Amino acid sequence: MLKSDKGTAAPLRLGRGMEQWSERHLRYLMLAPTVVILLALTIFPSIYMFYAAVHRVSPNPDLPWTFVGVDNFARLLTDGQFQVALRNTVVFTVVAVSIEFLLGLGLALLLDKFIRRLTFLKTVLMIPMMLPPIAVAITWKLIYEPQFGVLNEIMFRLGLPIQAWAGDVNLAMFSIIVADVWQWTPFIFLLMLAGLASLPVEPYEAAALDGASSWRQFWDLTIPFLKPVIAIALLLRVMDALRLFDLVFILTGGGPADRTKVLSLYIYQVAYRFADPGYAAAISLFVLFVTIVLSTWFMKRMRLAE
Amino acid sequence: MATIRTRNRSREMLLRFAAYLTILVALILTLFPVYWIAANSFKFDIDIFAVPPEWLPRNPTLKHYDEAFVQRPFLRYALNSFLVAIGTTAISVTFGTMAGYALARFHYPWQWRKQISFWILSTRMMPPIVSIIPLYLFFNYFDMLNTKSALIIAYTAFNLPFATWMMKSYFQDLPVELEEAAIVDGDTRWGAFLHVALPLARPGLAATAIFCLIISWNEFLLSLIVTLTEQSQTLPIGIAGRVTQYATYWGEISAAGFMACVPIVIFAFIVQKHLVRGLSLGAVKG
Repeated sequence: MLKSDKGTAAPLRLGRGMEQWSERHLRYLMLAPTVVILLALTIFPSIYMFYAAVHRVSPNPDLPWTFVGVDNFARLLTDGQFQVALRNTVVFTVVAVSIEFLLGLGLALLLDKFIRRLTFLKTVLMIPMMLPPIAVAITWKLIYEPQFGVLNEIMFRLGLPIQAWAGDVNLAMFSIIVADVWQWTPFIFLLMLAGLASLPVEPYEAAALDGASSWRQFWDLTIPFLKPVIAIALLLRVMDALRLFDLVFILTGGGPADRTKVLSLYIYQVAYRFADPGYAAAISLFVLFVTIVLSTWFMKRMRLAE
Repeated sequence: MATIRTRNRSREMLLRFAAYLTILVALILTLFPVYWIAANSFKFDIDIFAVPPEWLPRNPTLKHYDEAFVQRPFLRYALNSFLVAIGTTAISVTFGTMAGYALARFHYPWQWRKQISFWILSTRMMPPIVSIIPLYLFFNYFDMLNTKSALIIAYTAFNLPFATWMMKSYFQDLPVELEEAAIVDGDTRWGAFLHVALPLARPGLAATAIFCLIISWNEFLLSLIVTLTEQSQTLPIGIAGRVTQYATYWGEISAAGFMACVPIVIFAFIVQKHLVRGLSLGAVKG
């Protein structure tokens, strides 16, 4: 342990007082800028948002705000569009993250031995998740294009009925999910590969000696060992899925018939198109509350902060 | 015995075959969309709309690159993206490195270390949409809408926690003894950080900076809210602006979209060793 950590026995260079002072309080000084910036950028907006949420806010900065109490929160209970957006967000998050997880884990288990040394190939497979979401969105828009898109060409060749994809009431959410799965399965795959690479060998040897089937080994050894990595991967994916915006903005704009309207998009629309920042702030607070509860519960359980 | 071995071996062969086939399919599925946007950016409009699709551009042209980057202000957008990314990265990496080091090395009273680490991580989890209302009103009040400074401030909100956690994890990997030795030799605590720990963490520092650049370069929502003018809009906003209710300028957005991807792919290869750590905020050490 470093002596100076205690702040008592710092190496005593008899310099100016200022230097000594800053040396003694170094642990606070080094942390201070980050803490101050993040306080300013998160706590302040949260308070301000709460303030906005209990007012009727005009988008015109010169007009005064009217205090409306909990009206904006009460609206959440009766606003059908909000409930649609909430349901769409939950459906998207559950379905997309589940598919990505199963696919990513499955691929990692199958390919682990074969791809471990193929670093270049592995990086190529990781490209989708690094790309700008907007570029991904226009790429899939081009693929889904009903008239000249590649997907309908494939459907046609296979003798299947061509579809409107992102423009179809029943397929729009599916189309969004496919694009998201394309972009984010590599993320799960990569983390699972990292997890598999760090597995200890001995328990498996012992299990093999005991005659445990590979199925048993998978459930009793692999899954428990992978648990921390799985937890982190799922936490990050869920948090990301809850904030889905770019793909929907470009591919469907929330339509058709609100089938892909997710919470982020709805907040955006309420704030700007309907010019009602007070109500948008109330919805935002709801989303913030849900993500804080969810992520805190997750991180506490997984002892991530350590 | 012999039959079992043969059966095992043929099972092994089958598995190997399945694995390589899967890799091949995954590669095609991964690369095709990227190829497709690139291919379309080099086609004349009439060839983009061709049915059946033209799998290889038969008449390659740079027309759309001229449209986007010469006639329309996409070069300006790219420059804005770049400047904002650099500004955000500089701030985030500087302060994040110091905070990450402090959280990795120092002791604080009342479990502050744990509490503060946890709080910083939770700010990273905050969905950007929830901060757009206050940020918009705030920037509006201070007359900062449509400025790059506003974007840098907004982006720092999620890049700084990222940089802090990344650097914390890199510093935790360094043996503390080297810094102790430097202090015994008469260096100050700050000097030990600056002269010993920081140079050793250089690869981690570079990786963190590149990740910050990527995150800022890719950001869309905050920029959509804060910027409305050509002078401040970033590349993703420029691209989205050419997808309108009435027409989608496929050639132009393909060219700009592909150009937005190129630096990212290069960066991905530079940081390939750090991908796991970067994408898990330092939680998983790949």
